[in-house]
Amino acid sequence: MPLFGKSQKGPADVVKALKEAVNSLEKGDKKAEKAQEDVSKNLVLIKNMLYGTSDAEPQADIIVAQLAQELYNSNLLLLLIQNLNRIDFEGKKDVAQVFNNILRRQIGTRSPTVEYICTKPEILFTLMTGYEHQEIALNCGTMLRECARYEALAKIMLYSEDFYNFFRYVEVSTFDIASDAFSTFKELLTRHKILCADFLETNYDKVFSHYQRLLNSENYVTRRQSLKLLGELLLDRHNFTVMTRYISNPDNLKLMMNMLKERSRNIQFEAFHVFKVFVANPNKPKPILDILLRNQEKLVEFLIKFHTDRAEDEQFNDEKAYLIRQIKELKPIPGH
Amino acid sequence: MATSSSQPSLPWPNTKDDYELGKVIGVGATATVHGAFCKPRNEKCAIKRINLEKWNTSMDELLKEIQAMSSCNHENVVTYYTSFVVREELWLVLKLLEGGSLLDIIKHKMRSTNCKHGVFDEATIATVLREVLKGLEYFHSNGQIHRDIKAGNILLGEDGTVQIADFGVSAWLATGRDISREKVRHTFVGTPCWMAPEVMEQDHGYDFKADIWSFGITAIEMATGTAPYHKYPPMKVLMLTLQNDPPNLDTGAEEKDQYKAYGKTFRKLIMDCLQKEPSKRPTAADLLKHAFFKKAKDKKYLQSTLVAVGPSLETRVQKASKRQPGASGRLHRKETGEWVWSSEDENGGGDSSDSDTESKPMNTLISVGSSGSDHEENSESADAPPVNLVLRMRNARRELNDIRFEFAVGKDSAEGIASELVGAGLVDGNDIVAITSNLQRLIEQRATTKVVTFRLNSPLHANEVPDDRALVGYAQISIMD
Repeated sequence: MPLFGKSQKGPADVVKALKEAVNSLEKGDKKAEKAQEDVSKNLVLIKNMLYGTSDAEPQADIIVAQLAQELYNSNLLLLLIQNLNRIDFEGKKDVAQVFNNILRRQIGTRSPTVEYICTKPEILFTLMTGYEHQEIALNCGTMLRECARYEALAKIMLYSEDFYNFFRYVEVSTFDIASDAFSTFKELLTRHKILCADFLETNYDKVFSHYQRLLNSENYVTRRQSLKLLGELLLDRHNFTVMTRYISNPDNLKLMMNMLKERSRNIQFEAFHVFKVFVANPNKPKPILDILLRNQEKLVEFLIKFHTDRAEDEQFNDEKAYLIRQIKELKPIPGH
Repeated sequence: MATSSSQPSLPWPNTKDDYELGKVIGVGATATVHGAFCKPRNEKCAIKRINLEKWNTSMDELLKEIQAMSSCNHENVVTYYTSFVVREELWLVLKLLEGGSLLDIIKHKMRSTNCKHGVFDEATIATVLREVLKGLEYFHSNGQIHRDIKAGNILLGEDGTVQIADFGVSAWLATGRDISREKVRHTFVGTPCWMAPEVMEQDHGYDFKADIWSFGITAIEMATGTAPYHKYPPMKVLMLTLQNDPPNLDTGAEEKDQYKAYGKTFRKLIMDCLQKEPSKRPTAADLLKHAFFKKAKDKKYLQSTLVAVGPSLETRVQKASKRQPGASGRLHRKETGEWVWSSEDENGGGDSSDSDTESKPMNTLISVGSSGSDHEENSESADAPPVNLVLRMRNARRELNDIRFEFAVGKDSAEGIASELVGAGLVDGNDIVAITSNLQRLIEQRATTKVVTFRLNSPLHANEVPDDRALVGYAQISIMD
């Protein structure tokens, strides 16, 4: 095959060899060391076909198409992910690179790998549980975020029961894993606006009861990140219905008022951006209005002194002035 | 999932109580590095404590730094063990390299012996640089650019191990033909003396080759003790790097033949790395085959030429704890055109840059008037924290820039700072008086006034109308948090 220059192996051969190597790695028989070596070697071969090397260009489209087809037919992507913890350090990174490249492949407007994964959602679920295993968590995260860029795949993940595991993953003690999980979680909840809005609306109770846990987390980073994301979600116009529902609940208001007084200035500041939505709401339900009225004076006093050193942040100061004016002018609903 | 591979002893724990914090070995604006002891593993380590409350923007940058570290597994790249949150701090657990940074050793050697004709012999330089290149080669093959290669970021273990540290500015670069991702970086980060011309110009972005330039500057630093333009303020460094021919061993020399002890092969290596056209520079892999590295020896050799002569950990500890925040750092320009000074020069092994040769030129921009007093004895007089200021004004191309600087009351003068800004090419000479007087006024009235907006003298372009809100014909100085 002249197309490959010195290399004798075509996509079919490499895929076959890799599959055999992964299988024997999985069995953990005596040849494990040899298997490990073969896995690494063949992964590099595949990676080089897709990305090229400093001496060689990536392979022509037709070869890449053959490679992709072989990967689908052999079910190798799932097998690799299932055995990721058995593959060596560099090999794990190669799996993620190969996976992401194949995923991005397009034929016209079609994304064949996305279509393929839709028929094999276990790939996604296996990747998601990757967050439970320290040694593969970040590799899985890299692949998951690439998947989350495609609406069809994001939808499968959002609507699966496994999605709720993210509320646990974002709070694990190892910072890099928790933060990585948080990026994926955020991507899933914000990337595809309409899908996300629909999801949040239909699953409001379940999602926000879980979300509440994050806002009350012992972990400072979890609290700060989840509060910031909450602000972003509520202020996104696609999530209007969700926002309306969120700001009608007096418990949510109380939580934000407490967070305004947290020790951390960053948390105070993020809480401000959620709190403002409650105040700016032109149709405040009675329980919300009651809380604000009960604390009217204290709130005005508090806000006047709130983050006065942010002189250069014009938008913040405008918003603060607006909130102070709104709260000062609050009046009980007549007839109640 | 059962793992077939053999389990390493115990994983690095994620609880504070499992570690005993030792002495501070490095201090920066947002982080402190301690020597530490992990009790369950009965093993020494370094802990970098980052105050997240001082991290005002998103934590994504931080995550990227840690991901960059944890995706590396190479003996010449700093070893990351784990990270976890302790109240409002992030603790990064790293391998402890007790030899300190190469910069510490250079400075120690320059203080204790005569280094006029060169700091290290070629064998030492070749041995260290070969290790650095191995780390860089790995880094680059991983799709990463370090962006801040310099002696201060090269750490030494007691056994002579050489590791590249400080991923604070390292960026990811997508490899392969992926048009959906940017192939080149556009952020302006690094330390000017070591920075490649294309990084400064930032017209076309840059790639791995930027590290090769910095590597070449580091080679000069190991021979002469400093980067070639270390005497100049940062903006001047930018200009010299862009306008002059690439520097070489003799650029900073005071006398002819001062560095004649260094041979042709070494000079050729430097020349190869310091080519203005990035594509002409060799890759890390190419460089490893360079004839100069035939002179390289093993770790043991470094133990005798570097580790044994370097300052003790105790000395570095003392210096680190005396070090003033903001005494060293980097100037970076963001994509928005904003110039930012950040003093986060700390690294895993403790960079005790007291009389920082590499940061002196930068230092002059932020604290004019104190640039001569670069010994820590003098710095104790600076008891009041410096005032952080930002000058917002349009440049010649009328892009709005934020120039951040510090003003040490009692040490700096408004006039001095203003002339630095002019000297650095950041401000039109016509505006020196306006800036001086308004800066002076703001400093005097800083208890009550936080912002001044004032008219500039530099001529407006045709059809420009002065506008104090849009800052056309006006500039603004404000005191920051």
